[in-house]
Amino acid sequence: MKAILTDITKCIGCTQCVSACKVINKLPPDKPREWQKNDGLSARNWTSVLFKDEYYVRKQCRHCIEPACAAACPVGALHKTDFGAVIYDSNKCLGCRYCMMACPYGIPRYDWDSAVPYVRKCIMCYENINNGVIDQPACTKACPTGATIFGEREDLLIEARKRIKNEPDKYLDTIYGEKEAGGTNVLYLTSKDCPLDFLFYYNNRIEKGVKLLGEPAFNQPYPPLTKKAMNSVPFAFVGMGAVMSGLYWIVKRRQKLEKENKGAEDGKNQ
Amino acid sequence: MERINKFKLVLWIILGIALAAGITRFIFGLGATTNLSDTTPWGFWIGFDVMGGVALAAGGFVIAAFNYIFGRKEFHSISRAAILTAFLGYVAVVIGLLFDLGLPWNIWHMIIFWNPHSPLFEVGWCVMLYLTVLFLEFMPVVLERFPNLHLLSKIHKVLTKIRIPLVVLGIMLSTLHQSSLGSLFLTMPYRLHPLWWSPILPVIFFVSAICLGLMMVIVENMTSSYLYKREFEENILGKLSRIAVYLLLFYLVLRFGDIIIRGAGIFLFQASWGTYLFWLELALTVFIPLIIFIIPKLRKQPNFLYLGALSGVFGIVLNRLNVGGLTHLTNLTKSGSFYFPSWLELSISAGVVSLAMLAFFYFIENYSVWDEKPKDIDSEPLTVPKFNTNYVYLGPTKTANRVKFSFAFVIAFGLAFALISGKHIYSKGFDKTPVYKARGGDTLLIDGNRNGYGVMFPHKFHGDSIKIACGKCHHLNKPKDKNTQCFECHNDMYLTGDAFRHDWHTSAQGANLNCFECHKHNVNKGEEFRGNMAAITKLCLKCHNDLFPADVKVKILKTYVTLSYTDAMHKLCINCHKERLAADSLLRKSKPGLALCSNCHPKPAQYSAEHKLFTKQNVNKWVVVPPRLK
Ligand code: SF4
Ligand code: SF4
Ligand code: SF4
Repeated sequence: MKAILTDITKCIGCTQCVSACKVINKLPPDKPREWQKNDGLSARNWTSVLFKDEYYVRKQCRHCIEPACAAACPVGALHKTDFGAVIYDSNKCLGCRYCMMACPYGIPRYDWDSAVPYVRKCIMCYENINNGVIDQPACTKACPTGATIFGEREDLLIEARKRIKNEPDKYLDTIYGEKEAGGTNVLYLTSKDCPLDFLFYYNNRIEKGVKLLGEPAFNQPYPPLTKKAMNSVPFAFVGMGAVMSGLYWIVKRRQKLEKENKGAEDGKNQ
Repeated sequence: MERINKFKLVLWIILGIALAAGITRFIFGLGATTNLSDTTPWGFWIGFDVMGGVALAAGGFVIAAFNYIFGRKEFHSISRAAILTAFLGYVAVVIGLLFDLGLPWNIWHMIIFWNPHSPLFEVGWCVMLYLTVLFLEFMPVVLERFPNLHLLSKIHKVLTKIRIPLVVLGIMLSTLHQSSLGSLFLTMPYRLHPLWWSPILPVIFFVSAICLGLMMVIVENMTSSYLYKREFEENILGKLSRIAVYLLLFYLVLRFGDIIIRGAGIFLFQASWGTYLFWLELALTVFIPLIIFIIPKLRKQPNFLYLGALSGVFGIVLNRLNVGGLTHLTNLTKSGSFYFPSWLELSISAGVVSLAMLAFFYFIENYSVWDEKPKDIDSEPLTVPKFNTNYVYLGPTKTANRVKFSFAFVIAFGLAFALISGKHIYSKGFDKTPVYKARGGDTLLIDGNRNGYGVMFPHKFHGDSIKIACGKCHHLNKPKDKNTQCFECHNDMYLTGDAFRHDWHTSAQGANLNCFECHKHNVNKGEEFRGNMAAITKLCLKCHNDLFPADVKVKILKTYVTLSYTDAMHKLCINCHKERLAADSLLRKSKPGLALCSNCHPKPAQYSAEHKLFTKQNVNKWVVVPPRLK
């Protein structure tokens, strides 16, 4: 599976990736919304560069290995490709925005100012790479310092480990995206001064510091949470039907018996 | 006017407003009319119209179960009304959903594109099927009015025969989607507040839906009886409230048991918005109804019974709103923007409810939903028209009411439509970032590379002495309204630069303007254009109208040339350092070398090897990576 590795320590905040993404995906000029201050992502900005603790952090869809968004979509408009990208089919989408609610990174954005709105997010330039227009995503190609690179996930993981090993003072000993939520195809390396925990809802959770029963662990993917419930649906359906029919039968029979008894008694009394 | 007619008048007015809001919603899209955002993609329409609506309509299957399956025939008299309420409730849910969906014309896609692992897929299917079942369950009431039409009476016969299977199917479908609405949120364990997220959310939703169904039947029955001035079925409602007691107790145990077993008990007593909402919800859902339903003295008084049931209804609807968005991480913490529905959202929801109520009244008045039809409210003796100044004869009462309703509807629609401000709609939610931070400042401390070492920027000097208009530095549309950094104009080490980004203004990624938005029409390129720049070009101020203080006169320069970076830095820094040294005797002692080169350019050994001081960057000409001190 293909992946993107972004090395925060190398990013100079030039936002070349942002403009490259806009050009290749033909995104119109941005009209910043009030809530966009949080991270700069919008339907017209599929990637953004945040300024955080003296570092620049590029944000984009993480292309989860087991994407919560794709599991949530009722019509399968979002789906995970073998290539690694999680892509969107606007012809299927009905605009329920469940994917936006389900994403543990809060990534998908909506065309709020359009009367025919679609869900928008980074698609790892899937179409263009597939059609041979480009050989790697526009953003990684545009990066002047090589802070964000594209390749096979395994290779990038090896590269990331190598970097950490070579400069253990500089790098935080974590590869973000290696394991969290079942692993993602967008990996981050970061400096010791700038942990990237804030990108993941798990780390922002209200119950920080407490482990509650039944909650998925840090590494656990999200789709199984609903899949479990969905798998019990047929049983609940048939079970409820059986119970109700059974009850109906019992009640009916009892009423009948009562009536017969009554009839018999009436007969005796006569 | 009769009570019910006054009420209907209000409903028609709401409906008129909602129609105006609804049209606006479809013309301008969701962003312009709702307060939904990327951080709160689901709002009131999902929380109330869909999740609340489905739960409110649970009365249908609960009463049907009691009546037909458990053989409690005493509920027969209210079962038709309950099924009607459920049917209309689901219709309202679907209408509400159509407003909420971004692409509502694609709603049928669920039929052909399947993702059976998605709870929403399951909810969609169940709602579709259950709506059909409810329709079939209610049909006999309509059909029995036409006993003479052969075909219809035949259908009627068939439907009555398959009633029990239909009821069972309805219960099965209800069980599924009432609980699956809870499953929707299983996938967002960290988005929801821990008091609400639970692996058994589906079970909690199902149980609360049954509670709500019972209480809703009480509310609906008492309200319509009040409106039609009819005796309500006191002993049936009493029985319902007694059943509700057991269910509410079970719900209470379930909720608290779940919270305590999961270990979320610590959140029960916190001074936080989430905790307050929780206690408010539980008080409304469980405590108030339980107290009223348990104490016979209170239960026997219609006012209290009504209050208890109504409180329960509000409580469980609040639960749906809480789960649906109010208690989400994005709403409770700074990681999102606080959501409160806009008046357009609220009025559309109110309109959908009004529509359902009007339909309910229509069926009540025209079909035998109740055992006895309500006495014809409009059958007053025909009054002789009185023509005087304050009474206009509108025809017999029935016609008069219709005239009044239509009048109210149209007026409300027109007024609401007129009141929806176009300006507000167009600009809603857009970030207005007027560039005013440095306005009027004399000298600013700028720490461009954020390393804690600032540079004094002679702001006034740039404006007054070298006559650079504010817009040249403050218009480059940087994220978070950051100011333009020095090197962006003084853009190469030793070269002069250009302060106005013409290419940015014309490019599609930038301002996306065509030539004639700034330059006069019909001016040929070439000499005429070049020599005449100021005359044929719009002032920056014309577009950037919040850019300058009112008293500043913008001067258009013929060129946009700036000093080279080195020149700018050297001329400005050294002069200032010299001035400071001359003025400050203390400084002369502590930093004698302040105006010397070595003050800013320390020995290279002090810098890390890869960051030679002021190395020229080849890759990206206009970015100079600031060196870091070790
Ligand atoms: S980051 Fe969010 S939008 Fe991207 S694949 Fe994962 S769940 Fe989907
Ligand atoms: S908004 Fe579209 S893509 Fe997202 S879950 Fe709904 S149907 Fe799927
Ligand atoms: S991979 Fe493609 S779509 Fe995604 S951020 Fe980069 S350029 Fe944009």
